[in-house]
Amino acid sequence: MRSVFLFHIVAVACLMWGQPLPLVGQQVDFEREVAPLLEDRCCYCHGEEDQESNLRLDHRLGMLKGGDSGLAAVVPGKPEKSYLIEVVRHLDPGMEMPLDDEPLTEAEIVLLERWIRQGAIWPGQMDAVEQGETELWSFRPVQRPKVPENRTIHSHPVDAFLAEKLSETKLEFSVPADARTQLRRLSIVLTGLPPTPETTKEFIEKSAENSELAYSEMVETLLASPQFGERWAQHWLDVIRWAETNGSEANLYRKNAWIYRDYVIRSFNEDKPYDQFVREQIAGDTTGVGEALGFLVAGPHVPSATIGREPTAIRQARADRLNEVMQTIGASVMGVTVGCARCHNHKFDPITIRDYYAMTAAFEDIEFGSRHPEYSSDHPLQQRGSELVAELEARRDELKRFGGWEENWGAYRELHFRPIETQGVRIRFKAPSIFIDELEIFGPDEPQVNLALAKHGTKLTGYPEKGFETRNPVTRVNDGQYGTMVWRAKTEKDEEKPWVQFDLSDSKTISRLRISNNREYFYETDYLERKPNLPRYEFDLQILKSDGTWQPWVGTWAVNKKLAEQFPERQETLNEIQSLIGQLAEEGPRPSFVGRLVAPGDTYVLLRGSPENPRDKVAPAGPVMLGGKLDLPEDSTGPQRRLAIAQWLGNVEHPLTARVMVNRIWHHVFGQGLVSTTSDFGNAGALPTHPALLDWLAAEFMQPTEIQGQPWSTKSMLRLLVHSRAFRQSSQPNERGNRLDADSKWLWRFPPKRVEAEVIRDSILQASGNLDLRVGGRSYRIHNVKKTYAQWELVDNHGPETWRRMIYQERMRRVDDGMFTAFDFPDCGQVRAKRPVSTTPLQALNLMNSDFVMEQSRLIAERAQRESEGKSEQALARCFELLLGRKPTPREQESCSTLLRDGELNLICRAIINSNEFAFLP
Amino acid sequence: MNHVENLSPQGRSLLNRRSFLGTAGLSAAGLGLASVLSHDGLLAEEKRTVGGKTPIRPKIDPKQPYADRAPHFESTAKQVLVIYLPGAVSHVDTFDYKPELFKLDGKKPPGLPSVTFEGPAGNIAKPFWEFKPRGETGKRTSELLPHLARQVDDFCFVHSLSTETSAHPQGENFMNTGFTMEGFPSFGSWVTYALGTESQELPAFVAINDPRGLARSGKNNFGNGFLPAAFQGTDFNAKNPPNNLSRPSTLNRGADRRTVDLLQRLNEQHLERYPQDADLAGRIASYELAGRMQTSVPAVMDLTRETQQTLKEYGVETGSSLKQEYAKNCILARRLIEQGVRVVQLFNGSDPSGGNGITNWDSHANILKTHAMQAEIMDQPTAALIADMRKRGLLDHTLVVWATEFGRMPFLQANGTGRDHNPNAFTCFLTGAGVKAGTSYGESDEFGFKAAVNPVSVYDFNATLLNLMGLDHERLTYYHNGLERRLTNVHGKVIQDVLL
Repeated sequence: MRSVFLFHIVAVACLMWGQPLPLVGQQVDFEREVAPLLEDRCCYCHGEEDQESNLRLDHRLGMLKGGDSGLAAVVPGKPEKSYLIEVVRHLDPGMEMPLDDEPLTEAEIVLLERWIRQGAIWPGQMDAVEQGETELWSFRPVQRPKVPENRTIHSHPVDAFLAEKLSETKLEFSVPADARTQLRRLSIVLTGLPPTPETTKEFIEKSAENSELAYSEMVETLLASPQFGERWAQHWLDVIRWAETNGSEANLYRKNAWIYRDYVIRSFNEDKPYDQFVREQIAGDTTGVGEALGFLVAGPHVPSATIGREPTAIRQARADRLNEVMQTIGASVMGVTVGCARCHNHKFDPITIRDYYAMTAAFEDIEFGSRHPEYSSDHPLQQRGSELVAELEARRDELKRFGGWEENWGAYRELHFRPIETQGVRIRFKAPSIFIDELEIFGPDEPQVNLALAKHGTKLTGYPEKGFETRNPVTRVNDGQYGTMVWRAKTEKDEEKPWVQFDLSDSKTISRLRISNNREYFYETDYLERKPNLPRYEFDLQILKSDGTWQPWVGTWAVNKKLAEQFPERQETLNEIQSLIGQLAEEGPRPSFVGRLVAPGDTYVLLRGSPENPRDKVAPAGPVMLGGKLDLPEDSTGPQRRLAIAQWLGNVEHPLTARVMVNRIWHHVFGQGLVSTTSDFGNAGALPTHPALLDWLAAEFMQPTEIQGQPWSTKSMLRLLVHSRAFRQSSQPNERGNRLDADSKWLWRFPPKRVEAEVIRDSILQASGNLDLRVGGRSYRIHNVKKTYAQWELVDNHGPETWRRMIYQERMRRVDDGMFTAFDFPDCGQVRAKRPVSTTPLQALNLMNSDFVMEQSRLIAERAQRESEGKSEQALARCFELLLGRKPTPREQESCSTLLRDGELNLICRAIINSNEFAFLP
Repeated sequence: MNHVENLSPQGRSLLNRRSFLGTAGLSAAGLGLASVLSHDGLLAEEKRTVGGKTPIRPKIDPKQPYADRAPHFESTAKQVLVIYLPGAVSHVDTFDYKPELFKLDGKKPPGLPSVTFEGPAGNIAKPFWEFKPRGETGKRTSELLPHLARQVDDFCFVHSLSTETSAHPQGENFMNTGFTMEGFPSFGSWVTYALGTESQELPAFVAINDPRGLARSGKNNFGNGFLPAAFQGTDFNAKNPPNNLSRPSTLNRGADRRTVDLLQRLNEQHLERYPQDADLAGRIASYELAGRMQTSVPAVMDLTRETQQTLKEYGVETGSSLKQEYAKNCILARRLIEQGVRVVQLFNGSDPSGGNGITNWDSHANILKTHAMQAEIMDQPTAALIADMRKRGLLDHTLVVWATEFGRMPFLQANGTGRDHNPNAFTCFLTGAGVKAGTSYGESDEFGFKAAVNPVSVYDFNATLLNLMGLDHERLTYYHNGLERRLTNVHGKVIQDVLL
């Protein structure tokens, strides 16, 4: 805008000098006037030789396209929108052009402006258009290739593709692994748990009869087990760096964020089609799976208290939060580092800064915070909630005959009383000091409608009206806003006590009153020493009679104290109600940190990523080169925008979505993706080792022909891969393979690798017989309850409360769990497309000396003894079976003999837990 | 497991025989783990980097990920000690002398902001401590830090630093990892990734945390981010050894040893089935190092053999109990450097919940009292540490960095007694190997409000530190999620004027 303004000043200045305005109407001669200027002053850096900032000013198309900044250097007809003018006028600090040279003269600049205003006519180049295609392989449509001809030998299509490459590199598949190895590998890959000794025994017997059948049946069993979803959810959560704390200084706990984790587990277990899985995580609020939006707010964020009060910092923080959303989607679904286009056009990939901001426009209604997720009636949480509410209602019915009662809902208290029709309600508090963020009144007819709300026409009066220090007015109790904006009333000793009065718009039946003092805080976080307290305010409630007088109707003293004395039998039901409320908060729908929805604002391209430099307004869309245009109305709502972009991502025409997911699945099956950079399919990432195979798998994923099953089925894809010879072959190295392909990227053997932290922990617990396989629910805690700005401290990472699968361990950003952080367990600060596998002495120390391992070693030994009737040789064998799925070899027996003789079976277990065999996927 | 190093002759020969890198004729980069350890995207090796330079990838032997590796170019500094002061030290009250502030005390000159991090800004306040010329250079520093003041002739101050955030956790992240966001590798992890360590008995990178707890960015300050976990800082101090270092109390030495012996035999037998597998051998080696750490770490933590004179100089027995604790940490820092540990990061402050009323340098209120309390803890032990290292010749090959995340405002907070955060100007200093002593680089403006002459960004500062360690900040990269990541992102210029 500033440049327009200046343009006018120049024009006025020219008039004042008494010259005719320089020939606005007269056509600029490009060849004679403009070309020499460009050549002389610009093309040295932005021409054929050099293209600083990827900008070319030696042809018209380059001008229209602009450089890295993403701004068009020239917008024909609009000098005020042309970045070229801005930089030569030195209006953009830090970008004064020509660089390190004399500025252009005023006359030269005015000439350029005139030329642009007249349409930037460049004879001979007016028809040049941008090629709408990209060379980047992954942006091109998936083409289903033919399966190679060698299928007579390799009946499995995956093997056929792989064998082709193997023969090119003069390699071949290894022999099949033995049944025990195949089972252990299959079980860990699919469920994250090794097989039990019983399963192993049964499988080996069956395999001896019919190995193919035994294997297929085992695949089905494992895919159908609830542990499957837990394993594969873990992979997904890694990529999006999901955690249950905010990160940053206070690193506050995100209350009930875990319901998103459960959603992911459920989705994998139900084999939800992947396109639907993506759609729900972006727009699940529109289809009754509101908790799926936890995906969008999976990344870290800095809460407002630590951002500070400077407006620029506040704007920057919002841009940072949206960037976290972009990174999540880019890394997980798209396999594109979209975040790289935040400040300038992507350096490597065909993503412009405009694309970046157009994408953020689709997520403008997302904020980091809590809400009540939207659930369809058949949602498991909703169903469980309905059951519990029905039980709750039954108990309430029992209580009604005694009169009123009070319920504690954590965030608020609710006073229930005999229904009464009235047009006025007055509440007189007995304490001199009151904090209330909201006070709600409900009736039996429409139990969800807050009759007290100002926007329903209810008039409010109260005392003290303006509140403490006249800054905390009473109007806050019925403004519909929860949080720190409270009515704070403080009265002196001999003064009138606080009261509020609601004049309803017309006569209504009322039966319930709800009161709270900071519901938002209660909903958003937990495990803090200083929680929002929910004081028990004593008050009386009066109703306005038709004759205009006030009648005492109910009060806290009456329902709690008086009725309790009168009807002690009430207490049991009250306790049941409280317990049902507790259950509902665990098992039913509840406010959860899965994102808050706000009114979407306008989105602008931010020059150099700075919120202080907004430029063109952009409409929601995916990147242009990915066909991301969304046909949305001008005034589209937030959910409409997200749904549109989700549908675009899940479209079978989208070149990335399927490729990225099948590659991710491949990565977790074979240890290395066909594209080894699993979240970067761009020019800076790796090329696929087997491009045809990747495309065939992607095509098959979206539109299955070869494999049985629905489109986008993760389980079908896995079923296909684990049946391949490549997966079932031995992992033994051989000289030739090592020499020609030490990384095993051509899969001449199955590449062994150290298993993840979770597999180690879960396997140990399974061996001791103590692994609690309950699926879902609140995470088990290993940390303290802390002060707001304190660091989390480890309290107990090994006690019986923690004996669940590790996916249920509370996942805290940048907090060391004292055990498995050393095993490359991610800190959840940055996207972790795949975990490094490193080896450190801290791993050794943790696995040798931790309380967890010491305790579990003892428990495994005790179990082994129990299950072998005191025979020490058998007990030893049992330890090997429980931990390694096999009996000891004679040499191992001999190695263990001294320890066994001395009754130190627990130390044998400790050694096995630390052994390489235990830690490696065979 | 003290005796892991006594690998059985059979195991030893197994490892030797398969000293793959030699006999099998394979390069380290060709082996399974090597690719994971050293570089995620070997396939992307030929790819462009943003800066256009080719990355120099450390050749990491999977059997010895901490082996001493050559720097990119010759350098005098082989080791580095970073003394980090969380909370933001007031530069205008310590090392950045601004006479104008005395004149303008209580006034509000134009051009200064009306709102800063915590809210409305008040009037200029002169330094709370007197400044005096020191040493031969005559550098003026304040009475707040009298011990450090005696060594100013050896220091190289950088007065023109500025940062990109005025919030502590982001500021700590930025200084220590080069990014305000979380999850990026720390300076120490970059250095150990590149250089390994001279000591094969101790962790390559030790983070000595404040007695009051971790700083606000917690583990992020010394974490490995997306680098392999092998390069994270090991967290211990004079009081608390690393997690799970010692043999469990329920276990006697003999029982422990018998477990280790059995483990070795199990692994040997397993290795026979997987000959030439570097991952497995690497894991065996890690147990050996762990075993050595069980004796070497308690030994390095044992201050009983320090002389009375040393204890006195560091202030171990005088002053507040926090100072005494911190002084012990300072001695530990020196001992670690003596043992050849590559990177030692010593913290002087924690998050705001620990301690007795004062937890770090964040003096929003009553700076006169709170900065003095913090200085009492920091000054004498830190000065003694640097002097002691110099006396013992350790500074010949050790770089010392004294750093904080930003400065404090030349004015008070409105109606307040403290100074708010100042991201626009702050001071850090360097000393030791490779550093031009007795100099001051860059200047803040007349108020100390803004970097004015030769401004230095945190990127520049970190680029300079890497340069002092013999590393080219543009070529020390690691492929992660689409980019060759660097400590300095795509920025940073080495400050040549501070180099010897």
